[in-house]
Amino acid sequence: MKLPTRPARVTALVAIGLASVLAVSACTDNSVSTSSTGAADKTLVIDKSFDLKTSDPARAFELTGSIVDKAIYETVLDFNGSDVTKVVPGIATFEENADNTVLTLTMDGTHTFSDGTPVTADDIVFSLQRVQGIAGNPSFLLDGVTVAKVDDKTITLTSATSNPALPFILPNPSLGIVNSKVLKANGGTTGADDAAEAFLNTTSAGSGPYQLESYDVTTKVAFALNPNYAGTKPAYSRVVLENVEGPTQKINVQAGSAQVALDLNADQVQGVDSSVKVLKNASPYLIYSWYNQDPAVGAGVTNNADFVKAVRQGIDYSKLLSIAGEGSTQPGGMVPSMFLGAITSDPANVFDIDKAKASLAASGYSGQPVTFSYPNDITVNGLQMQTLAEAIQSQLKDVGVTLTLAPSPISTFLDAFRAGKLQSGIMYWGPDYPDPADYLVFNPGESLGLRAGWAAGSDATVTSAADAASAASGDDARKTAYEAWQNAANATGPFIPVIQPGQYAVTTSEITTLDLNPVWTVDIADIK
Amino acid sequence: MSRPDLQNPVPLDPALDAPTAGAATRLRFAAVRSRLRLPSAYRRPMAVIGFTIIALWFIVAIFVPWIAPFDPLAQQFDRLQPPGPVNWFGTDSLGRDVLSRTLYGARISLPLALILVVASAIIGSVLGAIAGYFGRAVDEVIMRVADLVFAFPTIILAMIVTAALGPSLTNAVIALLFVSWPSYARVMRSMVLGARSREYVVAGRLLGFSPFRSLQRDILPNVAAPVLVLATLDFGNAILLLSGLSFLGLGATPPTPEWGAMVADGVQNFSDWWLAAFPGLAIFTVVVAFNLVGDALRDSLDPRTAGAVQGVKI
Repeated sequence: MKLPTRPARVTALVAIGLASVLAVSACTDNSVSTSSTGAADKTLVIDKSFDLKTSDPARAFELTGSIVDKAIYETVLDFNGSDVTKVVPGIATFEENADNTVLTLTMDGTHTFSDGTPVTADDIVFSLQRVQGIAGNPSFLLDGVTVAKVDDKTITLTSATSNPALPFILPNPSLGIVNSKVLKANGGTTGADDAAEAFLNTTSAGSGPYQLESYDVTTKVAFALNPNYAGTKPAYSRVVLENVEGPTQKINVQAGSAQVALDLNADQVQGVDSSVKVLKNASPYLIYSWYNQDPAVGAGVTNNADFVKAVRQGIDYSKLLSIAGEGSTQPGGMVPSMFLGAITSDPANVFDIDKAKASLAASGYSGQPVTFSYPNDITVNGLQMQTLAEAIQSQLKDVGVTLTLAPSPISTFLDAFRAGKLQSGIMYWGPDYPDPADYLVFNPGESLGLRAGWAAGSDATVTSAADAASAASGDDARKTAYEAWQNAANATGPFIPVIQPGQYAVTTSEITTLDLNPVWTVDIADIK
Repeated sequence: MSRPDLQNPVPLDPALDAPTAGAATRLRFAAVRSRLRLPSAYRRPMAVIGFTIIALWFIVAIFVPWIAPFDPLAQQFDRLQPPGPVNWFGTDSLGRDVLSRTLYGARISLPLALILVVASAIIGSVLGAIAGYFGRAVDEVIMRVADLVFAFPTIILAMIVTAALGPSLTNAVIALLFVSWPSYARVMRSMVLGARSREYVVAGRLLGFSPFRSLQRDILPNVAAPVLVLATLDFGNAILLLSGLSFLGLGATPPTPEWGAMVADGVQNFSDWWLAAFPGLAIFTVVVAFNLVGDALRDSLDPRTAGAVQGVKI
C-alpha cells in the first residue's frame, strides 16, 4: 500500500513559504536613506500608477491620459491651478447667451502648434467634432452640442437645451486642440473611421507646453519642451512620467530618484521621511451611502424617512475622517467640496447618537437586519470601501441598527446596483467634469436616483429644487440654487454624502509649486 | 504415612523468592505499560509538538471568550497601533485588538476545516467505495467526474463556485467540498479494488451479505486507515484553502475575524506588519501541527514508511 505523502509535503512547503514571507515582512525597515537630486539637469521624474490606454485626446478618459494630454494639448478654456470653480481663458475667451444655449469662443490668435503653425478656428472645430465623431469614452462631454465656425477667430457651441455646465466641461484635456492639417495627413477624420490614434501615440500634434519624446503605455512617457509654446516656459525642460506602484513610489521619492509621487495613500503618507514634502487635498471622489426607497427592496425599513434620518445622525463622520486620514473631508452635500455650489455642512448630516436613537424609535424599526452592499475590490484614493463599511456597521450598531455586510466584486455589485436591487450600501462617484450639474443624476427618476429606488415624482420638493438648479444661469445664481437643492436632498433624500478621501502628492524638497487638480490631477508644466 | 515434606514444607528461600516476585510485578507493569504505550511514531518529538499545538488551539477555540482580552469586533482603540502592553498583537485599521481577533479566528477556521475534511472524506470515501466495489459503468462515471474536478486547479475551481454562490463561509465550505472529495474517492477506490476479491469478503458474499453490508462489515474496517491518514494531512490544506478564499474576499464576510481575511487586511497595510504576521502565524502553526500529526499517523499505520523515517533499511 502506498500511503499519500505528497499533500503533506505540499502543505508543509506552502506553510513554510508563508512563514518566510511573514518573517521578511516583519523585518522590513520602513526608513529609507534619503538623498536629493537637484533640478540642475532640468529633468523632472513623476511616479504614477498607470491606467494609460492612449494619448489621443479624443479617446483618452483615464487619469494618466489626462496628465499626458494636459501637457501636450491646450484647451479652449482652462482652470487656474487647483481652482475649478472659476473658468479662465485658454486658447479662447468665452461668452454665453442668456439661456445658456449658445457659447461663443473668441480666439486671441497667439497660440502655435509644436510644428510652428498657428492654431486656427478650423483646428478647434475639427478637434471638438472629432471627439464627437469618434464616439469614444469622452464623447459624452459634448453630447447635444453643435460646433460651428463663425469666422477665423470665432466659434459657436450651440446646445439643444440650456447647458450652463459647458464652460466647466471645455477645460477637460480630452477636449484638447489638435493640429488638424497634420492629423488629416495621418488618417485623422471627424468620424468613426478616424485612424490617427497610432500616430498620436508616437507624435504629438498639440500646442501645449510639451511634446511627446517617447511613449509606452506600460512603462513611461517622456516629454520634451515644445519650442513654439505661446505661454510661460515650464521650469523643467524634460519630464518623465513613469509607471510605478504606490509602495515603490514612496521609496523612489524618499531616495530622490523621483521628484513627485502621486499615488500614496493616507497610511503610506503617514510614514514618509521628514525630508520630503506632502501636499494634502480632498479628492473629488465622493463616497456616499444610499438607502433604497423602493418598498419592494427597502422592505419597509430603508424606505422609511425616519430610518434614513437615524442613519444620517448615527454615522460618526469625524471618526470616518480619522480612518480616511488627513486631507479627507466630509462633504455637506453630494457636490464635492471644491466645486461650484458645494456646501460645507448640513445640519441633517451631523452625528448625534441621541437624536439618531430617537429617529430610529420614531421609524418603528425593530432590529431586522438590513443588507449593506459594497464593492470589496475597490479602493478610492487608497481608502478601502470595506474599511468604511465595517466602521459604519459598528457605528450604527450603537444606534440600534443591524447591518449585514454584503461585499461583492465591483462587476457583480454594479449589475445589482444599476438594477436598483440593493437595499442599502456604500459607493463612490467620480466627477465627469467639475460642475454641480454632473450631480443632478442623484435625483428622483434620474439614473443614480433610480439605483436607490427613488422614482420620478416621489419627492416634489427635491425635484423642483433640482429643476431650479438646472435652469439657473450665472455663477452666483447657480451656486445658490445648487446649495438649496442639496439642502432639500439632505432633508428627505436617500443619499448620504459620507466622505471625500484625501488625495496626496509627495515631492522632494526642491519642488516648490505643485497644484492637485480634480480634472487632470497635475499640470506638469506648472510644477516648479 | 505421612509425607514430612508436605507437613513441614521447606520455607521458601527469601533470597530466591524476591526476584521471582519482582520479575512478575515488573512483567505485569510491563504488560500494562505496553497496553497503554503509544506507538513509537507518536512519541517522536515532532509528533508531540504537533499534538500539543493542536490541543492548545482547540482549547483556545473552546474557551476563547474567557481567554481573549477584548471584544474582537469592538473598534475601541487607536488605529494601527504596533504591539504593546495593552494590545499584545497591536490594533488593526479600525482600532480592533489583533490578539483577540486572532484567537477568535480559531473558532471560525478549526470547526470549518474539520467539517470540510470530515464531509469530503465521507462523500469521497462512499463514492470511491461504490466505484471500486461495483466497477464497470458506475466506476467509470464516478471516476471520470473525479478526473474532471482534478483537471482544474483547486483554488480556481473553488473561486468559481464561491463567486457563483456569493461570498460566505458556508459557500466557501461547499465550494471546497466540491473540489476536495475526489482525492478520497481515488484512495478509497484503489483500496476497495484490492480488498473486494479477498477470501473473507467473498466468504461474506457467499453467506448472503448484501453489497452494502459487505462494504460496511468486511471492507471498510480494513481500508479506513489510509483515508484517516489522508484526512489528517488534508486538514492543514483545508485551513489554507479556507483562508485563501477569505483572503480573496470570497470566504468570511466582514467583520468576522477570520485568519485569511485578516491577512488580506494586512496586505493592504503592508508597513503595519503585525496585521498579517499574527494571523499568518496562526495559520502556519495549525497547518504545520496537523502535518506533523499526519506524518506520525501515517508512520504508525504503515511500517514501511515508519522504518524509512527512522532510517531503518527495509
